[in-house]
Amino acid sequence: MNFNIAVAGNPNCGKTTIFNALTGAKQRVGNWPGVTVEKKSGHYNHSDIKFDVIDLPGTYSLAAFSAEETIVRQYLENDEADVVVNIIDASNLERNLFLTTQLIELGKPLVLVLNMMDMADEKGLQIDVDTLATLLGAPVVPVVGRTGEGIDLLKEKILRVSTEISMKARLIDISYPRDIEIEIEKLHQLIQENDVTDKHSRWTSIKLLESDQQTRDEVRLHNNGADILDQAKVSINRIEGLFKDTGRAIISSARYGFIQGAMRECVVESLVGSVDYSRQIDRVLTNRWLGLPIFGLFMWLMFKLTYDIGSIPMDWIDSGLVALMNFISDLLPNSMFASLLVDGVIGGVGAIAVFLPNIFILFLIIAVLEDSGYMARVAFIMDRVMHNIGLHGKAFIPMIMGFGCNVPAIMGTRILESRRDRILTVLINPFMSCSARLPVYVLVAGAFFPDNAATVIFSMYILGIIAAIGSGKLFSRTILKGMSKPFVLELPPYQRPTLRSLILHTWERGYLFIQKMGTVILVGSVIIWVLGYFPREVELDRDYGSERTTLTQHHDTQLADLESKFKKSVDQDRSGYHSEMIAYESSSSYLELHEQFQLLQEELSSKKSKQLYSLRQQEIGDITEQKWIGRVGKIFEPIVRPLGFTWRESVALITGFVAKEIVVSTYGVLFGVGEDVDEGSQGVISGLRSSGMTPLVALSFLVFTLLYTPCLATVAAIKRETGTWAYTIFSVAYSLGLAYTLAFGVAYFGRMFNWLS
Amino acid sequence: MFNFKKPRHKLHISDENDLRLSDLKPGEKGRIVEIGGSENFRHRLIEMGLTRDAEIWVDKYAPLRDPMELIVKGYHLSLRGMDAQKIAVERIA
Ligand SMILES: Nc1nc2c(ncn2[C@@H]2O[C@H](COP(=O)(O)OP(=O)(O)O)[C@@H](O)[C@H]2O)c(=O)[nH]1
Ligand SMILES: [Mg+2]
Repeated sequence: MNFNIAVAGNPNCGKTTIFNALTGAKQRVGNWPGVTVEKKSGHYNHSDIKFDVIDLPGTYSLAAFSAEETIVRQYLENDEADVVVNIIDASNLERNLFLTTQLIELGKPLVLVLNMMDMADEKGLQIDVDTLATLLGAPVVPVVGRTGEGIDLLKEKILRVSTEISMKARLIDISYPRDIEIEIEKLHQLIQENDVTDKHSRWTSIKLLESDQQTRDEVRLHNNGADILDQAKVSINRIEGLFKDTGRAIISSARYGFIQGAMRECVVESLVGSVDYSRQIDRVLTNRWLGLPIFGLFMWLMFKLTYDIGSIPMDWIDSGLVALMNFISDLLPNSMFASLLVDGVIGGVGAIAVFLPNIFILFLIIAVLEDSGYMARVAFIMDRVMHNIGLHGKAFIPMIMGFGCNVPAIMGTRILESRRDRILTVLINPFMSCSARLPVYVLVAGAFFPDNAATVIFSMYILGIIAAIGSGKLFSRTILKGMSKPFVLELPPYQRPTLRSLILHTWERGYLFIQKMGTVILVGSVIIWVLGYFPREVELDRDYGSERTTLTQHHDTQLADLESKFKKSVDQDRSGYHSEMIAYESSSSYLELHEQFQLLQEELSSKKSKQLYSLRQQEIGDITEQKWIGRVGKIFEPIVRPLGFTWRESVALITGFVAKEIVVSTYGVLFGVGEDVDEGSQGVISGLRSSGMTPLVALSFLVFTLLYTPCLATVAAIKRETGTWAYTIFSVAYSLGLAYTLAFGVAYFGRMFNWLS
Repeated sequence: MFNFKKPRHKLHISDENDLRLSDLKPGEKGRIVEIGGSENFRHRLIEMGLTRDAEIWVDKYAPLRDPMELIVKGYHLSLRGMDAQKIAVERIA
């Protein structure tokens, strides 16, 4: 036997805490179909009965105002749940009971949980639990979710309500003012007379008085649905005339009236010794003058911790990967399989794996900010700024996170309540320049703007922010217009986060990252490896082997020349040397000659290795040009030529689509510096310079790199969070379009005014 | 077939004397007279406990002057000035 239990309640009332306390670690996180609202399910056993528990999204009402409310209402109306467990924040009783009145009317077997009893005590609230249970007609269990106090009793109550018929009987109706009751009764009778299989006919009547669209659509399908709707119209007219407001507002106010009556009977508030600690904390944290600097400090700390602490295990992972690569190369020397493993799989996936510590730390910090209640304050502080681009204050968090990595940032848009805000934030997030783009800036700016590298890099960040803001304004005035919701934000009390919930939150999100992004990156890396590895045999126009021999021979002759010249001068010098005291080999004139010789010799050999190196670079460039990767680059070359790019940039940008860091390693491959090139590498820099790239083209390349889709993992995250391919494709197309336009602008005006040529 | 216009009761935007929630200073207290604005907005606020006659306390304004922080029914709520302007209140001591 098993029962379905639904946990419902206001946001921040402790649903998830109680859900975790009930189910322990046995839970699954998914999404509700069609929307990106997290769906958490788990189970527990009690008295040999299995209870499947669902953690419903937090809602203030069942009015179907938001995606969350629609989900909750559909789930409850569809009778999937056997018992509803309504979590009520006892320290915020009045507003929490508003949802409870609706749940009571819905008529499901109900268990009421008074959570946060500790906070209620602190506030000086004394709640008469038994009277409350009588007034509301459902069992009431006081608990402290954080400590698990009262959870056993809750399980017991859930068991009884599930199994004992007598416990299910609904004893009370929420009572409304007489004039409203009369109309409810009229509708109620009419619905019942028309033999409707409606199990919640009183609920339906009340919803009709609220002109609820969903209910009206359902009633229309009933026998005599038109009659019922006509009666509803008459009834609404009557109460609206009496109360001078809309039906829905009248009903809502009446619910609050009922709640106030109940509160009078069972809550005693003693103000003695009660302190609103959160308000005290907020005197500092959201203070008129201190609020912003403190927020800035927290953000700075977030970055600092993410990168500083993250870089420690990063180095371990890095050296671990290098060791693994060497091990495999030694084991399977020169085989294709080894190359696939080392260059393809480990090289590609490893490039992402090194970021895992950063990502987990970032998620941990975000979890702390969320669980403590500070996140709501961030929304409060930053709303003015974000409102400018048609967004909610909370949207600031994912934007900042985007500087680290767009993938967790896009996943972080889940903290936003409205779908429109989430989509808008997801769409502009890729313009926040993530850390993976930095190596590209460092390399290219270092090569072409050695004196102003920092300025160039900084302007890329600024350009990214401008692109995000501009696009945000554009989207909120065009494709995402008019879907905005009013800003009504609760500032919940501050809480000390529990370790358990921090670990759970961090792991849930981090695991998704490992799972989803690992697969995408793996496939992408293997594809790039294949493109760069095949075909094995390529035909080259130049015979590099003989050129190399000629070059070596040429140098050898020069070296021989130099030696014979030196010998000759020494012989000449010695014949004029007469001192008996010092051997000729120790004389100053000999030493001078010898030193000169050595200098020339060194010069020659360094010239030789430089020329050989450059030849090798050209050879590798030529080889790569013939590989599939080069051919792909050639195909796209005509498209990027107006920007001043060659097939090399075209290849680098294509591979950069998988992950931005790969742009650097691709240049490494193209200039034959080896896969393990690091961004400061002189080989790539000299390769770039000798490839004919001008500073102007370099700038245009940087602009393109900044603006086009950051990586495949980001695309996957966009798909995941928006839930549709339409927005995903739009995002890729839009950012490519913007990147192309702006890069073209740079190249075009640059040429026109002859800048940086 | 069934279609009528709401709200009946309009907010008297023209009335020079009427006081709005956005006019209250930090530390001032008001009683809600009426909420204007879109249907969804009004209903959302009422559902959050901003019913007619509810007492509302302006706690503070955000560092950038917007939004504002309110205390209603014992909890803290934040609204933008432009939304608070749609709420007519009477000042209480
Ligand atoms: N003081 C106190 N805090 C609690 C209690 N239950 C939950 N919390 C905290 O309240 C915050 C919100 O809880 P959460 O379960 O995430 O709420 P949800 O939004 O309803 O899922 C968290 O910081 C919890 O640690 C409780 O009984 N007492
Ligand atoms: Mg939750």
